[in-house]
Amino acid sequence: MSVEIEIRFTLNGRPVSARIGPTMKTLTLLREQFGLSGTKYACGEGECGACTIRVDGKTQNSCLMFAADCDGREIVTIEGLKTPAGMNPVQKAFVEHGAVQCGFCMPGMIMQADYLLGNNPQLTRQEAQRGLEGNLCRCTGYTKVLDAVESVARQKCCGQC
Amino acid sequence: MEQKAAAPAIARKTLIGQRIKKPDAPDKASGKTRYINDMALPQMLHGKVLFAGRPHARIVRLDTSAAEKLPGVHAVLTGKDAVGLNFGFVRDNVPLKSIVRCEHDEIAAVAAESEDIARQALKLIEVEYEDLPGIFAPEDGARADAPLLRDNFPGNKSLHFAFKHGDVAAAEAASDFIVDSVFRPHHVTHCCMGTSCAIADFDDNGKLTIWTQSQYPYNYKMDLAPALGIQPGDIRVIQPPVGGAFGSKLDVYPYEPIAALLAKKTGRPVKVMYSREEEFKASPTRQPAVIHMRTGCKRDGALTFRSADVLLDNGAYTSWGPTIPVIMMRTTSGHYRVPVVDFKAQAIYTNNPYAGSFRGYGNVQTTWATAQQMDMLADMVDLDPLEFHIKNAQKSGEYTPQKSFLRECALAECLEAAGKASDYSRKRKEYAALRETPGRYKKGIGLASSIHNAGGAKIHKSDGIGTILKVDDYARVTVISGASEIGQGIDAVITLIVAEELGVPLEHVTLVNNDSDIAPWDVGVHASRTTFIAGNGTRRAAQKAKAQILQSAEKFLGEAAETLELRGGHVVRDACGTPLIKLDRLLRQMHFQDEPELVMVTDYYEPKSEPEGASHISDHSAAYSHAVHVAEITVDTLTGEIEVDRITVAQDVGRVINRMGLEGQIEGGIAIGLGYALSENMQLERGLLKNPSFRDYKLITAPEMPPLDMHFIESDCAEGPYGAKGISELPTIVIAPAIANALYNATGVRLFDPPLAPEKVARAIADLRQSRP
Amino acid sequence: MQEITTYLAPRSLNEAAQAMAAGDVTVFCGGTDLAPQTESGARQHSACLMNIRRIEGLGGIEEKDGDIRIGALTTVSEIRRHPLIARVAPILAEAAEHFASDQIRNVASIGGNICNASPAGDMINPLLVLDAAVELASWADGAVQKRSVPLENFFTSPRRTVKRAEELLTTVVFRKPAADFVGRFRKSGPRPALEISTVSVGVGGNFSAGVLRNARVAFGSVAPTPLRARHVEVVLEGRRLDADVIGAALVAARDDARPIDDVRASAWYRSHLVEVFLEEALHHVRGN
Repeated sequence: MSVEIEIRFTLNGRPVSARIGPTMKTLTLLREQFGLSGTKYACGEGECGACTIRVDGKTQNSCLMFAADCDGREIVTIEGLKTPAGMNPVQKAFVEHGAVQCGFCMPGMIMQADYLLGNNPQLTRQEAQRGLEGNLCRCTGYTKVLDAVESVARQKCCGQC
Repeated sequence: MEQKAAAPAIARKTLIGQRIKKPDAPDKASGKTRYINDMALPQMLHGKVLFAGRPHARIVRLDTSAAEKLPGVHAVLTGKDAVGLNFGFVRDNVPLKSIVRCEHDEIAAVAAESEDIARQALKLIEVEYEDLPGIFAPEDGARADAPLLRDNFPGNKSLHFAFKHGDVAAAEAASDFIVDSVFRPHHVTHCCMGTSCAIADFDDNGKLTIWTQSQYPYNYKMDLAPALGIQPGDIRVIQPPVGGAFGSKLDVYPYEPIAALLAKKTGRPVKVMYSREEEFKASPTRQPAVIHMRTGCKRDGALTFRSADVLLDNGAYTSWGPTIPVIMMRTTSGHYRVPVVDFKAQAIYTNNPYAGSFRGYGNVQTTWATAQQMDMLADMVDLDPLEFHIKNAQKSGEYTPQKSFLRECALAECLEAAGKASDYSRKRKEYAALRETPGRYKKGIGLASSIHNAGGAKIHKSDGIGTILKVDDYARVTVISGASEIGQGIDAVITLIVAEELGVPLEHVTLVNNDSDIAPWDVGVHASRTTFIAGNGTRRAAQKAKAQILQSAEKFLGEAAETLELRGGHVVRDACGTPLIKLDRLLRQMHFQDEPELVMVTDYYEPKSEPEGASHISDHSAAYSHAVHVAEITVDTLTGEIEVDRITVAQDVGRVINRMGLEGQIEGGIAIGLGYALSENMQLERGLLKNPSFRDYKLITAPEMPPLDMHFIESDCAEGPYGAKGISELPTIVIAPAIANALYNATGVRLFDPPLAPEKVARAIADLRQSRP
Repeated sequence: MQEITTYLAPRSLNEAAQAMAAGDVTVFCGGTDLAPQTESGARQHSACLMNIRRIEGLGGIEEKDGDIRIGALTTVSEIRRHPLIARVAPILAEAAEHFASDQIRNVASIGGNICNASPAGDMINPLLVLDAAVELASWADGAVQKRSVPLENFFTSPRRTVKRAEELLTTVVFRKPAADFVGRFRKSGPRPALEISTVSVGVGGNFSAGVLRNARVAFGSVAPTPLRARHVEVVLEGRRLDADVIGAALVAARDDARPIDDVRASAWYRSHLVEVFLEEALHHVRGN
């Protein structure tokens, strides 16, 4: 039997622990041990971004991340973006702008968009296009996704328009 | 009563054409939606499939004993367990194979406690194969000396289609110009973000419940039953949210009966879900084809004839793919006014992967050919293509040679709108003049158009839909509809229509459409039919409910039903909008009166279209529509890279229902079409897929998506709901040839085999430059 | 399947080096190469799996004694946005700009990209142009021993390097380029990133008065390893960068690039792109 590893980390703001095998990926850990099915499997090799999560403030593909490396870290999934007041502004914008069709890629897309906007509240459309290059979507053609991201950037820039 | 008199009037306003949010979007955006891929049932086992990994072979020895002994394994099935369980259009498929006919042939299947155990068990299955010579191109399969892949299909011939109208030889003789070219549309695949998945469970009465991504729940039962040796009536189909479908779930594919056979054998629920690599290898493709097309015209530009001789790579089994000639011939004969037509298509069995239906079904391939030939002919006649297209455009009230009736035809309007908005004619001349001047980067502009069915397609005996609608005591409306939701947004359309008709808030409408034991008949999401068909069904049901409500209102209020209307959750006087009674209150009064009544209505809508028929002369859709795309591109003539700068779209949508959903469908449809045109390509070498991953099978990404300028032409379809037509396939159909025409405009290179990938373009440009003095 | 009996996440280089001395260890940092390679079965884990991401002192970018030192754990995102790199070696930031996707750049390490030893490794090309060396650490005689290997000599074949199993790549070092250093990096593909390079070309050198000195040219994806285009460099060295010299460089490139046909491109296209990109880069340098 392969060795088991005990890890402790912060998941969506709460301290958690888990016992895992050494090759388990964070995607599996989140989905199967914590029931956080919002983080999606769609390629398993970092090419599509459907499994994007935030680790210590930066996004990465959870399908490539060894679960053991979660130890001591702060992890946020799509389920953790929501606040007690409801959806966060990025989630709301995606809904309002019709960016969601089948929606399967959206948790990852929204995690990445939220990260980009957090780093750069005045994100331009071109920057958003580049920033979302690692998130594949088969339904939307990205247009409404970019509309949504742009709308949040506009809100943040002056709070008026 | 004074208070009532003072209640403000509720103004008449329509939701038709507004921007309506998808009702399921909030849960999808917050990660809450449980897709089928996320589902688990108590006691559920995981199924895994052993694929052959070779294109054509006999199985000499198959030993599953070690796999069966592995702890945690509950069942192992092989071809022996599937003998006689033939399914498919021509019953040429079985869930598990005894002979290998393509790379992804399912040789064995395991059900185990976990996916890991199932995977380990697959490794313990010993198979010895004797490889057989294969056929990897339809031309090879059609040769007289080709090995025979199936005893009961002489000449490796699968399906055959033909349509002829007029005297081609005479029309050819009368033509001043003829273009003659061979187009080779290639293998691409759907790439749904949610991989293929099914969960099957039998109850102790022998009834199967299958959770599936199917986009056609009713005929699905009929198609699945023979693969299991049970009756269609013994199947309950549940459709949880899916990660895309695009036509890929319009047939039964082996993993579904495999899940069910494993469930039957183990008595437990079994889930089969593909990895991305399995998805690439084992899910259906778009139908590849070899299209030999000829189109002729007179010196004045009037088209004289079009002929198409089509060879289809059937692949190893027959799904929807080789049936695409049904649509190919409609485009061949109906894309512009084509007086004489000769179409024939033959599908040939090969050892390649096989094709299903895919958004744009057959028309992506045909328009790739027709729209390029229109461009080529315009240059031969020396007419601006826009003028050439308008000259040949059909008009409202005309028929095509197959008797498609173009009741409302807005092709000319679409051409004019797209041409004007993009400044097409001026730019095309300008870019052509710069084509041979020095310079690495060349601009090009290309125009393409097509026709597609926009009111369903009566390829089954029915193209109808059942709707049940109830309004409860709280004025909450539930619509139980056969219409499937696969991400395209019929949920928003149905909600909008109910709110429009019954004057209730959008949030007060619930749609139930995912359980075949509850929802009534529908033939599925295909043929751009759902807004049209389900929209009509919903509207009719809502109007019946409204009539019942207003009749009662007349009784309670003493005002004539014809003078009343439902608005803002009230019964109002139609003329002035004065609210008379709250709708929920009225409904309770109806319910609790001496002769109590509930509002629950049913409707069955069957569109006025004619069955396709063997002659293919029929008005098979209740409406037809056109779209025109103008693509503007920049070509790096050295690397061959094409950057799409802008796309202008003009489409006859009949009437805009949900503007946001409509835009989203066009944007998404174009993205799929762009991938087809530029980058997507299943690289098959002797039947083996060499690029089964997103790393080397390239979808369009966000930075590659150009800005779109969309123009909706509203032709007001008499048969459509509020005038709407079906819209979502044309965007995928039209864009690729627009890019090909733009490439020609920019460089003088004309390519007939998609995709226009950098290497192919660079080589063609290099060859062209070398051939010039 | 190999059972993993030990999982290590050391915090010090000593610990890591000792573990590697004790037996076969699979090392990873971000895991962006290891995860897909092991999932697909292309590569096996050793019995000991070691995550070096937490080793202190193995990250960061600094200037020291005229050298630019990049710790092996430095992520591609850090390089992409680092002010020192932007100032002294923008060619490296340029390559980072076109590397995979944001999510991968955030975790993929420079050391990992080098040790993965792909002929298409995007960070390797500019480092060859910068004439970088790698420092390898191992445990011997009760202490960490280090040796330095020029990057050009590091790769032996696809996925193979001269690094011994017990050695850990700790640092990438290159001399801080002089003020007149000019560098250009170009990779193929219509996508700005998320693209395995069909071809990558890097050109650099000290450029003044129209003459290129210390010319260094690197090619990716045209041979079993990333390589320095020595024939091209000879043509360029110390010469006035005019149309004739550029033309001669393109001819010389045919002696350096030995591409093959594969699923991503034909040898013809790769050779063609090498010429296109090399010409483009040299014209850029000349226009500088």
